[in-house]
Amino acid sequence: MNILNIAWKGIKTDFRDTRTLFFMLAFPVVLMLVLGSALSNTFGNSLPVDDIHVLYQDTSHSDNFNQFIDAAEKSGIHFQKVTETINPQNEVKQSKYDGYVEVTQQGLQLYVNNGNSIEGSILQGMLTSYVDKYNIASEIMKVAPEKLESAFTHKQKDDFIKETSVLPNKQPGSMDYYAIVITTMIVLYGAMSSSSLIISERVRKTADRLIASPVRKSEIFIGKVLGSLVSNTICVLLVILFSKLFFKANWGNHLGMVILVLLTEIIFAVSMGIGLSFLTKTSAAPRIIIMLFVQLASFFGGAYFKIDNPQGIFKFITELSPLTWVNSAITKMIFANDLSAAIPAVTIHLTGALIFLLVAVISLQKREGL
Amino acid sequence: MNVLEIKNLTKKFSDFIAVDNMSLTVAEGEIFGFLGANGAGKSTTINMIAGLLRSNEGVINILGKNAAKNSRFAKMNIGMVPQDLAIYEDMTAYENVKFFAGLYGLRGQELNERVEEALEFVGLQDKHKSYPNSFSGGMKRRLNIACAIAHRPKLIIMDEPTVGIDPQSRNYILNSVRKLNEMGCTIIYTSHYMEEVEEICSRIAIIDHGKIIAEGTKEQLKSIITNTKDLWIEVKSTEKVNVESIKAINGVEAVQIDENLIKINSDTGVNNLNKIIEHFINSHLEIRSLQEKAPNLETVFLTLTGRNLRDQ
Repeated sequence: MNILNIAWKGIKTDFRDTRTLFFMLAFPVVLMLVLGSALSNTFGNSLPVDDIHVLYQDTSHSDNFNQFIDAAEKSGIHFQKVTETINPQNEVKQSKYDGYVEVTQQGLQLYVNNGNSIEGSILQGMLTSYVDKYNIASEIMKVAPEKLESAFTHKQKDDFIKETSVLPNKQPGSMDYYAIVITTMIVLYGAMSSSSLIISERVRKTADRLIASPVRKSEIFIGKVLGSLVSNTICVLLVILFSKLFFKANWGNHLGMVILVLLTEIIFAVSMGIGLSFLTKTSAAPRIIIMLFVQLASFFGGAYFKIDNPQGIFKFITELSPLTWVNSAITKMIFANDLSAAIPAVTIHLTGALIFLLVAVISLQKREGL
Repeated sequence: MNVLEIKNLTKKFSDFIAVDNMSLTVAEGEIFGFLGANGAGKSTTINMIAGLLRSNEGVINILGKNAAKNSRFAKMNIGMVPQDLAIYEDMTAYENVKFFAGLYGLRGQELNERVEEALEFVGLQDKHKSYPNSFSGGMKRRLNIACAIAHRPKLIIMDEPTVGIDPQSRNYILNSVRKLNEMGCTIIYTSHYMEEVEEICSRIAIIDHGKIIAEGTKEQLKSIITNTKDLWIEVKSTEKVNVESIKAINGVEAVQIDENLIKINSDTGVNNLNKIIEHFINSHLEIRSLQEKAPNLETVFLTLTGRNLRDQ
C-alpha cells in the first residue's frame, strides 16, 4: 500500500509541474508539427515532370515515326522537326530541348543532355519500346505478313507493365515519421526527471522523514519508479493520441504492440535516470550525462532527420543509439506489419533497464538513508 | 517506564568517532533536552534513535524493544521533526501531512481526522489548502511539526525546531511542545537556544565529543558549578582585552567576550574582584558596568565544555 501511496504522490506532483508538462507534452507536439511540416518534401513518393520537348530529324522515308510522334504528343512529349538554322546537338547541350532524335533507315539515335535525367530516361524508355515494337512488326512481316494487322490491333494493350509496390501506400509520410521518432526521443528524455527521483528527496531533506517512517527502502524505491513509469506512460499516450487526432499520424493496426515497445523504452529511460543518479556524485551530473546521451542518440537515431541506409562506421554509430532500434521496430510494425521487429528493441531496453536497476539497488543497499 | 534506553552506543565515520560509548535513558512523560555544540555527536545520536543511521556498537531500546530488531515497531512510535524543513513545496499543507501520516498505515476517515487534528494543533487549519511556498518561516516550521505528529507517536524527536523563526512562532512552538507533553508524548528536544531548553526541559544531557559529560535536571546541572560565579563587566571597547592575562588571575576559570561584555567565570572560594578590576584599570579598559550573575545553563555548558553553544 505504501508503494502505491508513494507512486501516487509522484504522479500527482509530476503533473503539477508545468516544466514537466511542457517538456513531456507541449515540446514533442510542437517539434512534430515543426519538423513534420518543414521536412514534408523529403518524404514525397511522387515526382512531377513537366512537358518534354524533343527535336527530331526523320530521313527514313517512312510514316511510322510520325505515328509515334502523334501518340507521344498525348503524353506531353512534343516533337519539333529540325530546321536548317538549328544545330540540334547544341540546342540539347544548352538545355533548350530535352533530347534530339535522328531517325534513319538504319535505325534510331537519341541524344540527351544528361543520361541520368528523368526526361532523358522517359524518352529512352519510350523510344526503346517503339523500336522493339517496330522490330517485332518486321519479324512478323517476314514470316506471316497477313497476321500483322491482327497482331497489333487485337486487344491492344498499353499496360504491359503492372507496377506493384512491395508496400502499397505504406510508406511513412513526414508527420507519420516524426510522430514516431519524436515520441521515442521524448521517452528517452524521461530519464532526466527520473534521475532526480531520489536526489530530490535528499535535497529537500524529505529523505530523512521517509526513512524515519515505517516504510522499507525497497518500498520507497519501487514506489518512486512506479510513479515515474506511470507519469511517463500517460504523457506518451497523450502525445500519441494528439498526433493521431490532430496530425493524422499513422500509428498502424498494432497500437497495443507499439505501446508495449514504448513501455519497455520508458522502463529503460526511467531505469537509466535512476541508475545514473546513483553512479554520479553531484545532483547536476546525471542530468548533463543524460542530456548529452539523448542528444547524440536522437541525432544518430534519426530523430531530427531521416537516415536512409547508413554505411560503414556511420552505420555502426547509428546502431549504438537505442532510438535507431526502437524507431526501426515501430516503423516496421506500423508499415510492414512486422511484429517480430519489436524483439531487438525490447531486448535492448529490458537488458539496459536491468543493468541500471541493479546498479541502483546495490548502491541503495550500501547507503545509510536514501 | 523508559521510552528510550541507549546502552553503549557508538558510531564511527571512518576513523572519526561521532558517538562514543553513550548510554542514557528517557522516561515516559519527560521533555528531555539534548545540548551539544555542532559536531558534538548530538544529531548523529538522534539520527540513530530515529533509524536514519546504523550504530557500530550498542543497543537502542524504544518502549522496551530493541529498535534494530523491531524497526517497524520503533518507527511507528517515533515522530521525527528534523532540523531542516522536510516538506514538499509542491503539495498543500493538508497533502503534506496526509502523505506522511499515510506512511504510518493510517487510512480513510481516520487518516483525514488525524491530518485535520495535526493541522489544528499547529494552527494551520485555515491554511490547509495553501502551498508551503506561501508560508512564513514559522508556518513552515509548524507544518514540519504537524507532519511528525499526525500518527500520534509516543516519542517525538525535535531537532532545533525553532531555528530562524520570529519570537511569536517560537512561543507557539514551545507551547505546542508543552501541550504535546501534557497529552502524553515524551519529547527529546535539541536547541541552540539555551533559554528554551532551560524553560521547557525537565531533564537535560550535555554532549561533547560524542560523550555525555553531564546529565540531570537543570537544578542538578547548575549545582555542578555552585563553586563558580559569573562576573559580567561591560567595557567601552574590547580591543585591548587580553583574555589570557585575565585567565591568569587567580581563581578565574573561563573568559568569554560577547560584544562589549566580558563574561568571567571565577571560583567562589577566591576573592579576586579587586585584582580583576585592577587588571582592567592597568589595561586602560574603561568599565561601564559590573554585575555578578547567578549560574545558568549557558554557564554550565561553558564551564563543562569550555565552548559557547551558539558561536560554534
